[in-house]
Amino acid sequence: MDLFFQQLLNGLTLGSLYALIAVGYTVVYGIVQIINFAHGEVFMIGAFGAMATWTVLFQGNTSLWVLPLMIVGAVASSVVVAVLMERIAYRPLRHAPRLAPLITAIGISVFLQEAIRLFYPGAKSALPFPRIDVVTGTALTLGPLTVRRSAIFTIGSLIVCAALLWFFINRTKLGRGMLAVSQDKDTARLMGINVDRIIAVAFGLGAALAGVAGVAQGLQNNNIDFFMGFLAGLKAFTAAVLGGIGNVMGAVLGGLVLGVVEAMAVQFIPGTFGGSPWKDVWAFALLIIVLVFRPQGLLGARVVDRA
Amino acid sequence: MTTSSSPAPRTKTAVGNPRPSPQWWLTLAGAVLLVASAFLSWCYVPALLGDLSIDAYPGGLQMLMVIVGVIAIFFLVLRSGRMPSMDTLLDSARALKALSATAAGFMVLVALVIALQAPGLANANPGLFVGIVGAALMVAGSWQMASDPLVDPITVRLPSWVEILVIVVMMTIVLFGAAFALGQEDGTVFCLFLVFLGGVVTALARGGLFSWISVIAARHRQVLMMGALAVAFLFPFTQNGSDANMSIATQVLIFATTALGLNIVVGLAGLLDLGYIAFLGAGAYVSAMMSHSAFAHIGWKPPFIVVVVIGAIVSSILGLIIGSPTLRVSGDYLAIVTLAFGEIFRLTVNNLDGNNGPRLTNGPNGIPGIPDLEIGSFNFGDTHTILGIPLGRFANYYFLMLVVAAFIIMVFTRLNSSRIGRGWVAIREDEKAAEAMGVNTFGLKLFAFAGGAFLAGMAGTIKAHQDVSVTPDQYIFLESAFLLAAIVLGGMGSVAGVLVGATVLKLLPEKLRFVADYRLLIFGLLLVVMMRFRPEGLVPSQRRALEFHADDEDLADRIEEVHLEIAAEPDPAEAKA
Repeated sequence: MDLFFQQLLNGLTLGSLYALIAVGYTVVYGIVQIINFAHGEVFMIGAFGAMATWTVLFQGNTSLWVLPLMIVGAVASSVVVAVLMERIAYRPLRHAPRLAPLITAIGISVFLQEAIRLFYPGAKSALPFPRIDVVTGTALTLGPLTVRRSAIFTIGSLIVCAALLWFFINRTKLGRGMLAVSQDKDTARLMGINVDRIIAVAFGLGAALAGVAGVAQGLQNNNIDFFMGFLAGLKAFTAAVLGGIGNVMGAVLGGLVLGVVEAMAVQFIPGTFGGSPWKDVWAFALLIIVLVFRPQGLLGARVVDRA
Repeated sequence: MTTSSSPAPRTKTAVGNPRPSPQWWLTLAGAVLLVASAFLSWCYVPALLGDLSIDAYPGGLQMLMVIVGVIAIFFLVLRSGRMPSMDTLLDSARALKALSATAAGFMVLVALVIALQAPGLANANPGLFVGIVGAALMVAGSWQMASDPLVDPITVRLPSWVEILVIVVMMTIVLFGAAFALGQEDGTVFCLFLVFLGGVVTALARGGLFSWISVIAARHRQVLMMGALAVAFLFPFTQNGSDANMSIATQVLIFATTALGLNIVVGLAGLLDLGYIAFLGAGAYVSAMMSHSAFAHIGWKPPFIVVVVIGAIVSSILGLIIGSPTLRVSGDYLAIVTLAFGEIFRLTVNNLDGNNGPRLTNGPNGIPGIPDLEIGSFNFGDTHTILGIPLGRFANYYFLMLVVAAFIIMVFTRLNSSRIGRGWVAIREDEKAAEAMGVNTFGLKLFAFAGGAFLAGMAGTIKAHQDVSVTPDQYIFLESAFLLAAIVLGGMGSVAGVLVGATVLKLLPEKLRFVADYRLLIFGLLLVVMMRFRPEGLVPSQRRALEFHADDEDLADRIEEVHLEIAAEPDPAEAKA
């Protein structure tokens, strides 16, 4: 039973990471109905942004107060990249056939990965992420459970971000604008909402959370590399679909469920097809099953015609 | 189309009036100077850019300027009104402008290369400056030329043999152009050649040659196909036994063949498949596991033709499995499902190493040491000599792939104009409407997946032997993206487009080694830019182009006309017979 709770905790940690990224997919989808396939790369940019901030400003400093500044660096870089990407690549394609934005997204994805690989010093192989006092270090023991400090950071940041997100969407003018645009773009425009701005905000919002996730991933994994966004992005997309794409709280739930399922699959699927070599296979199988049998997701969000 | 900078555009009556203007003379002088410069020395340093240092013997690069000059003179002759029937077809002014720009750009680039690498412009010889002056005169002369009014090429009929001759000449140029381009070892020379090629193609396109040729090509489809096949078949004979270029050519052909299979799924049926490389992989793995490699763990070693069939069938069964969600899933979601399947394939072959599942694929190390094919007594690894020309290992595989490619192109074009192809297009345009019209949408979509997978599986069985080894990391998502990019770049749903796209994507990185590191960066950027500015691709099928430019009524009318004309008139050759 201890094993079960340990895996549950591991799953929730992993799931928090997925959830933070998944929000970006879902917010953008809810508003412009495109799958921003390059969102995984925004997450990767966030991690590198945090590291760049640390290397440039606080090289060698491991105090806790550095962490918030690193998060600011991560969020700033990922938001800038996401907003630019929307402005330059996606906005001109808003009325193009469906295939066009998806291919553009693949292009952006490859471009961002390569840009980091080629132009970030030393990024051709994995880079060690900075250690921060208190947040990294020896794991805590809680009864029979081993709790890594970075896990607490990850789960904590999901809770904080989810609360802020809820507040932003439901209580601020911009957030309400987003709701209005996601329901009916034309009417929203007639009501005096600047739709272009709302779309940019949606990209930025998702990117901000992805930036936080980038920091969490760096602390958790000790290493970051230019390719980390691909798999994480794909998993997060699975999470977004699982929760019902377009539904923000669904994405959070979907992320947690996916994380737990993955952790449990590693531990409890018997035989040679269990264990970590196959965990990604099970995650993708889950993605396919959900897409085929319940494309509206767990929370049954908007009914999507194309899905 | 006929925007002219001069206030009074020439009318048709003026065409027959050969009184050349000063501009005409200026441009002619420029073109003649350009040609003359090629026979002078450009540079003291013989080691640079091939050899440009010999008088009266044009080196490879100088020959390119001779070609530009001659084409310019041809257009100038047209412009003087000596060949009225051609003049109405081609817009000499626009072509001359583009040619002049090409010549000028080319000469400036050569001067730059000499200045940087010789080093210093002091090493330049008078010939270079004669060429630059010539190019400048051409630019000055053609700058203000007014465009001619053109007639639609569809309404012009030349004698059948002339049209066929044009196709044959075009094919010959393609053959020697390809052999010349592949023969360039030096990256700088290759880049300059690309500048030349791009410039001349632009010039001819702006001159209206290609719209005319596309009409001819539509009239003489058979001749065109046979010509293209002949060129592809003759290509190894131009290489004189060198395997370096044949290896590239074979890779291009495998890539193009796979892309053609994907084009059925994406281009015709409009189903975005992001895991297509898995089908190629399935074929390759089947072939590897049934080969005589020491790491092949299947005991049964059937003859290769059986392996091809098994590989293709296994692959198409995978296609059926991947296609089955299309019953419920479409659009972006389908793309993600296929992506997930592709990843599952890669992870599975990566895991089946005996520790994490049955021992089949040898895990991350893959299956190395696959022996060369041997069909009958013909061993593909040996060098065979035909007509005194040695044909190496890659040339053998090249011929085999050519047969497969021809088969796939035939399947593709036949399907495209069949009831099935029409059904696919209907599904792509509007699935609900197609279903309402009685199209079996699910069956056809499934068939697209299975058929596309079958073709890729076939190509895969050969690829395994050609590559000598199969490993999981040959079949990553990026490869699927590359295939998709080839289709997007070339033009969805068109055979010629896919061939062009595949060639560009495989050939450029091979030849531009010095940008090899930036290859993917450029590739990503290219996808974004293409989607933004030319979503229909370089050589689009016209129906597809219309989809992306729905409000272009001229284009719509033209396409309708072409279709009506070609449908209504019997082929003149048939009519005579």
